[in-house]
Order: sequence, then structure tokens, then C-alpha cells
Amino acid sequence: MFVIVTYDINEKRVDKVRRILRRYLSWVQNSVFEGEITIGKLEKCKKELQFVIVPEEDSIYFYIIENKNNYIKNVLGIEKDLDSYVY
Amino acid sequence: MSRDLFIFSSGTIKRKENTIYLETNNGERKFFPVENIDSIHLFGEIELNTKALNFFAQKNIVIHIYNYYGYYSGSYLPREKNVSGELLVRQVQHYLDEEERMYLAYSFVEGALFHMQRNLREYENTNEFVIKISQELENAKNCKSIQELMGCEGRARDVYYNAFNLILKSKFFFEKREKRPPTNPINALISFGNSLIYSTVLSEIYKTQLNPTISYLHEPRERRFSLSLDLSEIFKPLIVDPIIFKLINNNMLKDEDFDQDVNYCYLTESGRKKFLKEFDSKMETTIKHRKLGRSVSYKFLIRLECYKLIKHLLKDEIYKPLKAWW
Repeated sequence: MFVIVTYDINEKRVDKVRRILRRYLSWVQNSVFEGEITIGKLEKCKKELQFVIVPEEDSIYFYIIENKNNYIKNVLGIEKDLDSYVY
Repeated sequence: MSRDLFIFSSGTIKRKENTIYLETNNGERKFFPVENIDSIHLFGEIELNTKALNFFAQKNIVIHIYNYYGYYSGSYLPREKNVSGELLVRQVQHYLDEEERMYLAYSFVEGALFHMQRNLREYENTNEFVIKISQELENAKNCKSIQELMGCEGRARDVYYNAFNLILKSKFFFEKREKRPPTNPINALISFGNSLIYSTVLSEIYKTQLNPTISYLHEPRERRFSLSLDLSEIFKPLIVDPIIFKLINNNMLKDEDFDQDVNYCYLTESGRKKFLKEFDSKMETTIKHRKLGRSVSYKFLIRLECYKLIKHLLKDEIYKPLKAWW
């Protein structure tokens, strides 16, 4: 499945969160990650994040799209070359 | 779900922030999600340090290295965790027992020829070629030795390659198969595609307990992972050839995608990238598996083939080569 993650984290912890997400997904924009991932990996990722964040202050949103073909992305301005595995 | 990463640019790969980090010579930086990476194919000039290699071993990531011309030259494989003495003994036993070896060797040829015929049937006026290939398949049944079997396979392959000129629409003309070095664009495409298949099959074999050096159709003494050559036979016509037909018939390749001279022809970087893009999406294509009842990717089909072979070796279930049913 395809997932888009956005987050709003206290500056003290934002680096830790970014590091974890970087291992699972590709970075799109400031505070936004996206990419394809399995259900198991996503759960693992969420568990790791839970240890880092403070639930009262931080928030992370996961937008899950079951089928990658069902989403359309429109871009204004620069599109960063992301999900490419040929580099 | 995990993907293969293909790196063409030159630069350094490092472990950084517990993930893979690439810094190219022209200053670009990129992080790759380590959890989603299965193997890395290096085409450019890349520097690696032991820290990175240790990290890849820990994450079970296989690294394949290709030379300047895009030929497969070697792999870095993490310490094998899946070793099985029993399976190794069985593998050798099946190699030594002539009947058993013939059965497996014949199965690989059967799978290969089936997919060749399947490819040809998609196009018009290829009937005579299909018939010739089925004749070779009949001959193959009665072969007494591996050499004879290889001969049948070789003749069938010649027939198959002759049919290419009917299938391919454009100015590219295919005379005969030539390797080392390939001399025309089609040969270059076949060579490049085959070397990709070899390494992909090898990565899949490494995820199972099979020993990649003991093979049945090819002689196992040739200082290479010949089991991956055996299994590749089935997948070459299934995966590589349709990509070649697509790239050429849709005019996706241009002259500048080939580096041509009097006695050689290689794909340039742009050509390889185009090929890889198709290869990658082909590998990720899923089909509904009849037995498993769920969708599996082409890449996983290769792994399933290894599992089938293991079952055969352990006398659990008789090996039948993959025959595309879709």
C-alpha cells in the first residue's frame, strides 16, 4: 500500500522522527514523507515513532491509500524526483 | 514490496542516520529507505566503506556490481544465514544421479521453450517457428545426455531468435546472437537483460537454502553460480524478451541509446536507464497466483521457483517448471 506521512513535532524531537521515517519512506517536502510500504513495516515504523514522540505535544498523520493506482498527484512548481529507484 | 535500487551516477554510498545515503560527484545527495531495499545494482563508479558493507550485511541487502559495459561482474553477499546441510547433500545427490539430473535439466528446458512459444504466439505469422520449437521439445524428451539436451535447447533458441525479425517492426535487424562483445543493438539488449536476470535470480536463490553453485542443466564446474543460469532459462523469455519487444516496437529506443562501433555495440547510460525502468516495473507487476490465491509479483515467482526446487530435492513434491498461465 501507499502511504503519505505528515508530521508536526516539537523541535527537540523532530530530528529523531525524521531519521526513523527516512528508513522506511522517501522524503518529499519538509515534514512530508511518502512511499510504498507493507502493512507489517508500517506497524514497525509506528511502534518506533511511539517511543520518540510525546503524545501531548506532537502529531503524525498517516494517509493510507490501499491501491497506488487510485491516487493522483498534481504538482505546481518544482517536482522533486522521488520514488525513482534508478539513480 | 521491497525494491531493487539501480545506481548509475558516480559517488559515495554511506551509512548515514541508519539508512543508505548516496552522495554523487556532482554534489547531489539522496537518502534511500533501507527497509524497502532488497538489493543494489551498481553501474557507476561507487565508493563504499566497510561500515556501509556491515550495515548491508545486517539488513540482508545484496550488492551486485556491473562493469563499464553493463556486464555482471560480481556480488557482495551477506553472510549466509540460510544454510542447510541436508539440502546441500540432496542437491549433490540429484546432480550425481543421472536420471534425476536429466529430469531437472529437462524441466528447465521445458519451461524455457514453453515461454518462447508463448512469446511467439502473441505475434502473427510465427506458426512455423512455434512448430519447430515444439519439435525440439519432443527431441528433448528422448535425449540421453545433457549435451544432447543442450543441443536441443540451442537449436530451439536459434529458431526463436530467427523469429525476432518478424516480431520487431523497426529498422533494427537481428542477424544472429553474438556475445562478447555484442555487435548489434538487439544483441546488446539481450546481453544486458540476461545479465540483469542472472543477478536477480541469484539474489532470490540467496534468500533460500539452495546452494547456487550446484546446477543441473549447466555444468557446475565453471566458476560461476550456475544454478542461477539454470533457473534464468525459464525467466529470460518470460521477462527480458517482452521488454525488448516493447522497447523496440514502441520506438522507445533511439540511436543515441547505443554506443556503436565496427565490432561492438553497447547500451549507453540513457539506454540502460530506459531498459531498467521497464525491467523494474515488470518485476513489480503482479498476477493472481492460482495455488496461493493471492497476487504475487514476477520477482516473487522466481523465489517460488526456488521453493519448488527445494521441495523436489527433499522428495516432497515433484518439480514442474513454471508455465505462465495468464
